[in-house]
Amino acid sequence: MHAQLKSLCFGLAASSLLATTAAQAQDTTVLYNERIVEIGQTLPDANDLWVKPEDLTRINDFELKPEGACYEALCVPVLQDRDSDMYVTRGGQGWFNVTGLADKLQQAYVVDHDDGVWSFGTMPVKRQSFIRGGMAPDFELNDREGNPVRLSDFQGKKVLLLTWASW
Amino acid sequence: MPVWQVIYDELKSENENFEIISVAQDSGGEDAAGPIFDAADVTYTSLIDVNHLISSLYNLVNVPSGVWIDEEGRIARINEGTYAQEHFNGAFGTNEYVPIVRDWVEKGAESQYVWDTSKVRESIVDRTPEAEKAQPAFLLGSYYFQRDNEAKAEQYWTLAQQLDPTSWNYLRQDLQYEEGGSAGPAWQQRVEEVEAAGGAYYAPLEIESGGN
Repeated sequence: MHAQLKSLCFGLAASSLLATTAAQAQDTTVLYNERIVEIGQTLPDANDLWVKPEDLTRINDFELKPEGACYEALCVPVLQDRDSDMYVTRGGQGWFNVTGLADKLQQAYVVDHDDGVWSFGTMPVKRQSFIRGGMAPDFELNDREGNPVRLSDFQGKKVLLLTWASW
Repeated sequence: MPVWQVIYDELKSENENFEIISVAQDSGGEDAAGPIFDAADVTYTSLIDVNHLISSLYNLVNVPSGVWIDEEGRIARINEGTYAQEHFNGAFGTNEYVPIVRDWVEKGAESQYVWDTSKVRESIVDRTPEAEKAQPAFLLGSYYFQRDNEAKAEQYWTLAQQLDPTSWNYLRQDLQYEEGGSAGPAWQQRVEEVEAAGGAYYAPLEIESGGN
């Protein structure tokens, strides 16, 4: 996986980032599974979603480290000493390209540009043990009293998971 | 659902380590699904999933669907249209599913109905890259639906259906809020098209083929 990602990092097309120095104050909302994350500031860009590194973690738990954008054992290399299609510095503030990361990880997303709402699918890297290994994906949903319920709470039990609908 | 409660009581009394997690795929939320849980007096874990997260995570395209998950989190069966019993003289549902659940609860991995990993992998519905994109499209539609923006909800729910035409859930959830409803002419027409092309509305149950 690492080698594959590294090779993807070279020879990238030029970023579509507009040559601007000012952050955009327009409200931006990011949806990811059950999360709804409001982002105070983004960098204006016609195609990509650029956020401050701390907002990256609020969105999808990835953390920007010197070696790259990391989640658990996975690190996607990100140059930070100069501008790249994944990371730029404007007025001393670093900005991370969330959709650039999604593209590298083949994570699907859909955006409503008018309202600034970005909706992301589950990352394929988080689905490998399901698709390849038949392991049940963990999830977290609130029960009817508003308490979080995770599949992992049921470890050590046999679970019959049933979906249904009222419609 | 009342039937599942009876089965749950029975199997739980035999094996304390058995659980049912029942998840309503309902954009209408508590108002839509809550009364049905209440009417059945369910004591097992009941969740209302307004974004259809579970169908999205487990690649399920219809309801009801069942997944067996063992003590280590390994899937033992997946993607089966699973009513608890036969309804309307066999119009849908089967009485064959509950006995195999009972067998699994009793025998665990020794049950002949437990699938091996390769069978589980084969039974996970494949998704095209377009169908992968249907998940965030539906999620975006749900976001607007919860905020009473019907035009945008419709826009992105329609996009989700175009991206993943195999999902009955996306189709019927949307139709629920349109004239004709979730089981009206639009749904019937789609069923006929799919069946004419050799497909099936419910994922088939393969009761006999799990054999060890």
